[in-house]
Amino acid sequence: MIVSWNWLKQYVPLDIPVAELERRLMMAGLNHEGTSEVDGDLAVDFEVTSNRPDCLGHLGIAREAAVLFGLPLQMPAAQVREGAARVEELVKVRIDCPDLCYRYTARLVRGVKVAPSPAWLASRLQTVGLAPVNNVVDISNYVLMECGQPLHTFDFGRLKQGEIVVRRPRPNETIEAIDHKTYALGPEMCLIADARDAVAIGGVMGGASTEISTRTRDVLVEAAEFAPLSIRNTARLLNLHSDSSYRFERKIDPEGVDWASRRCCELILELCGGELAAGVVDVGRQPPARAPVVLRFSQLKRILGIDIDPQRVREILAALGNQETAADQKQVTVVPPSWRRDLTREIDLVEEVARIHGYEQIPEDVRVPMAPSIRSREDRVLGQVRQVLTACGFDEAMTLSVVDEPLSAAFSPWSDQPALQSQTPIRGADRLRRSVVPSLLAARRTNQSLSNPEIELFEIAKVYLPRPGQLPVEDVVISLNSSRPFEFVKGVVESLLESLHVAGRLDAAPAGCELLDPEQSCRLLLDGKLLGFLGSVRGPALRQFELRGETLVAELRFAVLAEAANLVPRYEPLPLYPAVSRDLNFVVSESVRWADVARTVQATAGAYFESLTYLDTYRDPQRLGEGKKSLLMTLGLRWKQGTLTSQEADRVRDEIVSACQREHGAQLRA
Amino acid sequence: MVKPLSEFLAELDGLCQEAVSAFSAAADTEALEAVRVRFLGAKNGQIKDLQKGLGQVDKADKPVAGKQFNEVKNRVEAALAEATARVATSQAQSETRPRLDASVPGRRQKLGRLHPLTQTVEDLKDIMARLGFTVAEGPEVEDEWHNFEALNIPGDHPARDPLENFYLATAGVVAGGEGGTTAASGGAGNLLLRSQTSTVQIRVMEKTRPPVRIISFGRVYRPDTADATHYPMFHQIEGLLVDRHVTMADLKSVLRLFAANFFGGDDVHIRFRPSFFPFTEPSVEVDMSWRGGWIEMGGAGMVDPNVLSAVGYDPEEVSGFAFGLGIERICARRHQVTDIREFYRNDVRFLHQF
Repeated sequence: MIVSWNWLKQYVPLDIPVAELERRLMMAGLNHEGTSEVDGDLAVDFEVTSNRPDCLGHLGIAREAAVLFGLPLQMPAAQVREGAARVEELVKVRIDCPDLCYRYTARLVRGVKVAPSPAWLASRLQTVGLAPVNNVVDISNYVLMECGQPLHTFDFGRLKQGEIVVRRPRPNETIEAIDHKTYALGPEMCLIADARDAVAIGGVMGGASTEISTRTRDVLVEAAEFAPLSIRNTARLLNLHSDSSYRFERKIDPEGVDWASRRCCELILELCGGELAAGVVDVGRQPPARAPVVLRFSQLKRILGIDIDPQRVREILAALGNQETAADQKQVTVVPPSWRRDLTREIDLVEEVARIHGYEQIPEDVRVPMAPSIRSREDRVLGQVRQVLTACGFDEAMTLSVVDEPLSAAFSPWSDQPALQSQTPIRGADRLRRSVVPSLLAARRTNQSLSNPEIELFEIAKVYLPRPGQLPVEDVVISLNSSRPFEFVKGVVESLLESLHVAGRLDAAPAGCELLDPEQSCRLLLDGKLLGFLGSVRGPALRQFELRGETLVAELRFAVLAEAANLVPRYEPLPLYPAVSRDLNFVVSESVRWADVARTVQATAGAYFESLTYLDTYRDPQRLGEGKKSLLMTLGLRWKQGTLTSQEADRVRDEIVSACQREHGAQLRA
Repeated sequence: MVKPLSEFLAELDGLCQEAVSAFSAAADTEALEAVRVRFLGAKNGQIKDLQKGLGQVDKADKPVAGKQFNEVKNRVEAALAEATARVATSQAQSETRPRLDASVPGRRQKLGRLHPLTQTVEDLKDIMARLGFTVAEGPEVEDEWHNFEALNIPGDHPARDPLENFYLATAGVVAGGEGGTTAASGGAGNLLLRSQTSTVQIRVMEKTRPPVRIISFGRVYRPDTADATHYPMFHQIEGLLVDRHVTMADLKSVLRLFAANFFGGDDVHIRFRPSFFPFTEPSVEVDMSWRGGWIEMGGAGMVDPNVLSAVGYDPEEVSGFAFGLGIERICARRHQVTDIREFYRNDVRFLHQF
C-alpha cells in the first residue's frame, strides 16, 4: 500500500519526520518497504498483511498513526446535498447471485461535466502510482485509495433501461473491459449487467461500453460488497488483478460501503457539478451486527508474560475503534469496529493490546524451565552413516524431491506403483521420486560437465512410494554413486554395517534392475531382508544420463540399517590365548560362490572359528583349467580354553579342506 | 685414610681406557655430549671425582700421582676433541645421504564433506537439544487437514490457492482445492507437498499430551521462481513449546538463547515486529541484533487457540509458542553464500568449501 505523505496528513496532524512514522508503523505491524519522492510529495510504501485490509486506504493507516501518536483522526463527513428526484424511481438494481454479491448500492448524479481533474486530485493519484483519467474516474479512484472501498462509476445513459442486474454470466458470454481487452467469462464469475448486456466484471474491472467519457452526463456510482473467494478466482482465471479485486479479496468494511458512496458523490458534486438523486438503492444483505468480545485482563499476563494496566488496555482498545460496552476490574467487553473483521476473539484483542503497547515491553531474559531432550535412535544412526560415508570420500549432495518422467522411469526398485505427480511442475519436473539414484546421476553429470575430477556423491533423502487412497510411504534411503569399482562400493556398505555393529548376515542376490549391469550388480539382503541395491550402471543408461566412465550406484533402506544397528555394544572379554592362522587356496568351479565356501569353512571350524578373511580370486585357465578359479583366504582359529597347538590347527584345516571338497568340489592348491 | 699409589694408578688407567673407548663409540653430537658430561663434566664428571681421590694419596706419592692424573686428563680431553671432529665430519657427509624430508606433504585420505545445509541443521538441532527440544519428524506429502485446516487456514484462505501450493494430481483432487474439504485426520482427500513444517506440530500434538517441546525440520515446497534468494524447495526448522504458563516472554528468551548460541556472543537481543500467520496469535517477525543493526531471523508467535483446540488441547489450560526459520537463509548468511541455488547444484567444488 503506497501512501502519500501529504494526503495522510489531511487526516491526522503529524508533525514528525516521515522516518519516525515509518518506524512506529513498522513496530506496530506495517512493514516499511521504501519511500520515494514524487513531485514534492513522498510515496511511502507499507506492506499490509492479509489480516489487515483496513490498512489498504489512507484513512486506515491514518487511524493507526493517530493511535500510535495519540493524535485525533479527522474523518471527512461525506455529506451530500440531494436533489428532488428519488433514485429508486430512476435506477433499478437486482442481485440474482447473492452468494457472489452480498450487497449492491447505487447512487445517481445527473448533469455532470466530465473534464480533467484539478491539479491537487491528479497529484494525489500520481503519488500513489495511479494515472489520472478524468474527474469522475479519478474521484472513484481517490475514494478507493482514501478508505479502501472500491467503487465503480457507469455512464448511466448507456445502461439499457437504467437497470443493473448482478448475475452469473450466460454460456459463452464475453465482455470488453476498460482495458479494451475482451474476456471470456466463466460460470462462477460475478457479472454486472444492464437489462441486456454485461457492463462490468463485478469487483474486478468495468466494461468499455459504459465507461465515463466526456460525453457522459449522468453517472451511476456503484459501491458494493462481493464475495472474496469469487473475486479471487475471477481475477486469477482472467489474470486480471486490479486495486479493486485486491481489496475485495481481502474483505472490505461492510459498514464503509455507504460512506464511500456518499464520499464519492460529495466529490463529484463538488468537482463535476450535477445533481444527486435523493436516497440510495441498497440491495442485498445489510452488514451483520458485530458480536461483543470479552478480554480478561489476566489473559494478557498469561499470554504475553507481562502485566499491562487495565486502564491502558481500555484506552488502546477504544483508540482502535472498539466500542466498550462493559468493564470491571477483571475484564472489558468491546464491540470491534466494522473495519476490523479480524477481531472476533479474545486472543485477537490480546494481540491488539500487545502491538500497540509495544513488544519491546516483553522481557527477553526470563528463566525457561529446563527439560530433557531425547536424541532418537534414527538420528544417531544417521549421524554415524554420514560419518562413515564422508570418511569413505563421499560428498553429500542435496537434490530436488521431484524428477522428470524419464528420470522417474529410469530406476524404481522400491515400488511398482506409478510415481505421484504434482499438478504444478517444480523446476520442470513433476514426479515425486521413488528413488534418489536418478537424481544423483544427474548431479554426477553436472559435475562431469564441469570437468570435476573426483565425483563421489551421496544423499540421504526420502522417496515417495504411492499407496492408493493413503498418504504415500516416505522411506528414507541412502543413495550414492562412485567411479570406484564394485568391491569398493560394496566395501563401503560393509563398513557402514560394521560401524553400526550390525550382527546380521549380508547376502547378495541378483539385482534384476534394468538400470544395472546384470553381471555387475546385486541386491543386498541383511538376514534375508532387502537392504538395498548395488551395481554398475549399464551402457545404455549411461548414455541416457550422458555420463562417461564406469559408474557404480547403491541405494540402501535406512530403516533396515537403523533397525539392525547396535548402538550400545556389549563388552566381550578379550581372548586369553593366542590365535593361529592358516592360509587356504581352493580351486573351485566358477559357479561356486564365495559365500557358500565361507559358510562351510565357518561351520567346519566350529568352536575354533575366529575369522575368515577373503584375499583374492585368481584365474588362470592354463594352470587351473577352464571354468575354474582359485579363492585365496586366511583363516583365523582360536581356542577359548587354551593355546591351540599347531597340530590341532592343522587338523581343523584338514577337516575344512575335506568338507569344502565334499560340498563344493574344492581342491586345495599347494 | 690413605690410598695406596698403585690403587690410584690402576683406577686412573681404567678410567682412561673406558673414556677413550666411550668417546670413539659416540656416533652423533647427542651421544658425544652425554659421554663428555659423564667423564669431563664440571660438577660430577668422573675425572673430577678422581681428582678428589688425589687428595687421599700419600704425600710422598703425590708428584707421581699428580703427573699421571694430568696425563690421563689430557688423553681424555684429546679423545673428546678427536670425537668432536669425527662426529662433525660424519654429519657433513650425511648431507648427501637420502633422508626424510618432513616438509613433504603427507598422503591424505580423500574425505567427503557434509552438505552445508546439513551442517547448519545439525548445529541448530544441537543448540535446540540443549534447550530441551526433541526432534520430531513428519511426512512431506500432506493432507489438507494437517497443512491447512488444523493450522487455522480455512478453505477460503488465499494460502490454499493452487497457485501457492504443489497439490498432487491424484484421484480425488478437486480442481482449485477449495471449498469444503475433508478434515478427517489421516484421510487422503487432497494431497500436497507441505508448504511448512508446522504440519509436524499438528501430528505430534495429535498424539501427545502436553507438555510438548519439539523441533521439526525438513523440506518444504512453495511455487516460488528460483532466484538468488528463493527456491521452490527449501528447508525449515520449527520449534514448538506447549505447556501450562508458556508466554511470549518465554518465546523471546528462548530465541535469544538460541541466537546467542548460534551466532555467538552474549550481547544478542531479540526484537519482535507484529505480523500475521494463521496458526499463531499474536504473530511476530523476529529480528536479532547484528553488528549494530537488526537482521530478520524468521516468524514466531503464540500458538493460536484454534490450533490448540484442533488437536484436542484446551486453550484455557495450556498455551504455547512456535517459531520457524528458513535454513537456507541462515546457512547462506553464515557462509556468505550469495545465491541459494548453489545449494542444489551439487558442484563438488562448492560442497568442498564447507
